[in-house]
Amino acid sequence: MSDEFNIKNIAKLASINLSEEEQDSLSNDLSIILEHVNALSDLKLNSQQQEIFIHPLEKELELQDDEVVESLTHDEAISNAPESKDGKFVVPPSME
Amino acid sequence: MDASHLSIREINSLFTKKELKPSELYSKVFENAANSEAALHAHLTLFEEENIKKAAESDKRFSNDESASLLDGIPIAIKDNINIKNYKTTCSSKMLSNYTSPYDATVIEKLKEQNALFTGKTNLDEFAMGSSTENSAFGLTKNPWNTDYVPGGSSGGSSASVGARSSIAALGSDTGGSIRQPASFCGLVGFKPTYGTVSRFGLVAFASSLDQIGPITKTVDDARIIFSSISGEDSRDATSVINNQLDLPSDNTATIGVIKELMEDGISDEAKNEVNKVIEILKSKGYKVKEISIPIIKLSISIYYLIAPAECSANLARFDGVRYGLRVDGNTSYEMMENTRAEGFGSEVKRRILLGTYALSAGYYDEYYGKALQARKEMIDEFAKSFKDVDYLISPTTPTQAFKSGEKTNNPLEMYMSDLCTIPANLAGLPAISIPTGLSKDELPLGVQVMSRPLSDNSLLDFSEIIENEVQFDGQPKGWL
Repeated sequence: MSDEFNIKNIAKLASINLSEEEQDSLSNDLSIILEHVNALSDLKLNSQQQEIFIHPLEKELELQDDEVVESLTHDEAISNAPESKDGKFVVPPSME
Repeated sequence: MDASHLSIREINSLFTKKELKPSELYSKVFENAANSEAALHAHLTLFEEENIKKAAESDKRFSNDESASLLDGIPIAIKDNINIKNYKTTCSSKMLSNYTSPYDATVIEKLKEQNALFTGKTNLDEFAMGSSTENSAFGLTKNPWNTDYVPGGSSGGSSASVGARSSIAALGSDTGGSIRQPASFCGLVGFKPTYGTVSRFGLVAFASSLDQIGPITKTVDDARIIFSSISGEDSRDATSVINNQLDLPSDNTATIGVIKELMEDGISDEAKNEVNKVIEILKSKGYKVKEISIPIIKLSISIYYLIAPAECSANLARFDGVRYGLRVDGNTSYEMMENTRAEGFGSEVKRRILLGTYALSAGYYDEYYGKALQARKEMIDEFAKSFKDVDYLISPTTPTQAFKSGEKTNNPLEMYMSDLCTIPANLAGLPAISIPTGLSKDELPLGVQVMSRPLSDNSLLDFSEIIENEVQFDGQPKGWL
């Protein structure tokens, strides 16, 4: 497995603005953890060709019927917004 | 008599015979909270005033012989990552310090239907990520047995509350041991049901294929009562399953497997001794006991710390300063999101989001996440094979007794290792329970874990009750009661 770890790039992908200090300490922690999880690379698997389920009981996930059901009201859905106007979420501009 | 020490069935019997009123018990648990909260900090919020009216309604039902629920008037604490309508759900994160839930979780709806009373919301490791409740943005919770030690985590507030009797029972959530490990550290029963038997709707998601809500209680019967009240298929949780229970023998016709890999290096002698003590008791009762080897268990931490962070990085993408939670300004939406997430998340949450982002990123997906999923499948198959030979698997719940506050905070990997025995049940979706069995030389509780095949929760509880009755652990933390 690869030991490359570009903390700035990963933080950008995760949308977290890390300080220089945090970059150093998290980079160090993550290297140690990745070294540990690399133990998996030695594992010879029997089930390589098998279908992988996300559900541990191997339940097939089904789509719900397209029916209207009771849900949050518009006001409830927006009640925790940091900023809203006319029932809509307000955000800073996406393009400069 | 102090009814806060009694089991749910014993309390219900006193209510029914009109020898105790729900409002009297409610006052008692808040008296216990007043005596313990300053030292333990189990609850983030207490609901005393709001529920006095509800306790009086319970009084009236019992007085008129109209109560039909074992949970009527029982004070229950709720981990603060489970939504109760019109109350804050903070997940012990700065990100959600002002979030008020507009809806009830399914488990809360069910407990309300049973007329249970809520004592308040309990402290946790931020977004349930941790094993000591030291990762909370709102301060540490301490172990009621000795405040120099952690209560475990992430449901440390829930276990400290039941331990100090500021609630009769509590709900926690368990992604890698977060119910069982704190229950073990606090001398309580902690039960993680089969994945999917309890709806996750309204539980703030951490790792959706592993998360499961369950009870922390004083007795196995209390855990059974709460499990039967909160379980059931729910169309609002696509992963929920029909709770068709399998019947396994719980008497001495059952065969017990001792997991070899969880009785080796890395497990303290004290933890092993508790398992051996239980095995000797079971043998003397005529149970057949054999050693079972599941070698892939040794890779549990590696598998878990790829799958859980991967799912966490996707689930926590929702905290972007737009729809709810904290917002920290920025010149553009992107800057605002980056600043919000930098300010709102604590170190452990950032660590796991970054680890998951890396494991899922282009070029690494197959070698990390893909491989972990395959290894998980292998573990599920290995457990299924073992359950052809044995009905129940036994191991320590935790490698050691509770550790001291601050002892592992600077070493994330060492902290992760404290979940070695509990993680396999989450990866394989199995029901698993921790039963308190004794005290260490430091006078701190120790427990054993029992697991069984998926959807055999009720049999697992029956078998656990036999162990509980044989072991007769009756220790209680002193100083709060």
